[in-house]
Amino acid sequence: MANSVKKYAFVIDPRRCIDCRACLVACRAENNVPIPNTRIWVYDQGVVGEFPNLAQQFVPYNCMHCDNPPCVEACPSQATYKRKEDGLVVIDQEACIGCGLCLPACPYHVRYLNPQTGKADKCNACLQRTAQGEAPACVATCVGGSRLFGDLNDPNSEVSIALRNAKSIKTLPAVGVDTGPNIYYINDLVDEQKLAITAPQIPPADTFYQKIVIPGVIAAVGVMFFGQAVAFAKQLRKGESEFDE
Amino acid sequence: MSDEVLSLAERKRLRAKKIKKHGLANIVTHWFNVASWAILLTTGLAMLANPNLKIMPQGYIDFFVNLFGGVGNLIQAHKVFGVIWVIVITYNVTLGFRRYFVPFARKRMLLTPDDITWFKLYPKKLLGRKVELPPQDAYNAGQKAFGYVVFLGTIAIMITGVIMTFSYLIPNELRWIVQWARPIHFGAVGMIVAGLMVHVYMAAFFPEEKSAFFSMFNGEVDALYARLHHRKWYEDKLKEEREYEMRVRLEEIEAHEQGTTEPEKPVTA
Repeated sequence: MANSVKKYAFVIDPRRCIDCRACLVACRAENNVPIPNTRIWVYDQGVVGEFPNLAQQFVPYNCMHCDNPPCVEACPSQATYKRKEDGLVVIDQEACIGCGLCLPACPYHVRYLNPQTGKADKCNACLQRTAQGEAPACVATCVGGSRLFGDLNDPNSEVSIALRNAKSIKTLPAVGVDTGPNIYYINDLVDEQKLAITAPQIPPADTFYQKIVIPGVIAAVGVMFFGQAVAFAKQLRKGESEFDE
Repeated sequence: MSDEVLSLAERKRLRAKKIKKHGLANIVTHWFNVASWAILLTTGLAMLANPNLKIMPQGYIDFFVNLFGGVGNLIQAHKVFGVIWVIVITYNVTLGFRRYFVPFARKRMLLTPDDITWFKLYPKKLLGRKVELPPQDAYNAGQKAFGYVVFLGTIAIMITGVIMTFSYLIPNELRWIVQWARPIHFGAVGMIVAGLMVHVYMAAFFPEEKSAFFSMFNGEVDALYARLHHRKWYEDKLKEEREYEMRVRLEEIEAHEQGTTEPEKPVTA
């Protein structure tokens, strides 16, 4: 444990997933996720492989806690941020203004707006559990041991050992941007084409804001400030008089 | 600026004479607005923390985030002060709508042909050419233009601010309302701040407008300033004064006819 900075990651072995979805239930119970929404998914990819090596493939799936998260860039209020101490991407619920810009920004579509609070929500790797040294609820409840969670900077952690012994390692890249996702699928046949991963989307309101409003305001304020600065300099050079009228 | 040369004695007399320009309600509302803007602008700028924007330096943002103890608290404070501002300004305007707002808008804010001429000539004056500006109302054309920016901007800021403060009441399908509120809020503030650059400079530092600055404390400008910068309004004020004097004289004469008092000698202005 030489390094005090952690790099939390999920390691998922889809071959061990039996699609029981106990993780979804555990997550909902642990994090009070309202009924129509969910923070995690299990995708059924159908039959993969070639005869006779066929397998029914289930892909557990949640926030990738990216190294370069597009949602953090999209958030106008710094409510979404990447924790320096362990790399988890979390949401400060008090700072979130519920604008919803982060939802289309996420290439993996793991975010939802909580209808009870009007604010964005997603997997936070059960921060309340990991702070106590426990595994997230979905990992703790996984019957097949498909989901693993731990610190990649610790060579003796469960995830480091699993990655060392893996036959293959795959991350799911986003379209057009290097997100550096931190879910590692091992021993897998995951087909990312079926997971509908996209490029980060920017709503028109935000394009308008970034391309028109901000340059416009900076130009207008700059011109006016420059104008008064010139006038003020002229005035000071001219000097003062008792009888300015 | 004037068509005739003012004699020294006339200038001295006008300089000593005071004319009322702002009522107490306007002054109090103005300074409440200033205090609110000071708080809301500084906290608002500190909230532009998105790394894409790079408007304010990181040190400024960190200072205010630390001062309030976190981004959440900073945003909460901005919302609380903002809601107080919205309530007080709305209350003032509603309460004084007929007594203050409508007369103010009708007498002082309407654009006249002289204002159009002013807009055409003023850029030439800025470039240093000698031009004769047309006589102006209580506010000159530039002040009126800033007034409209502030009025429309304030409405936009209030509506979009309330939308973002209470965004949790908006159903998820209408999230675009919150998304559009942000650029409108920022843009309206930006337009007003652009005008403020000139507004604050003119009021606080520009020597010719010194009288206007102090009028925002005691409500009065000196007559010479009014005569030179706001000729039309000055003439109106003179007319009001003459009417007042006439009325008092008439009352005195009536009182004398009923044999109660002696008429004073008329005061020559």
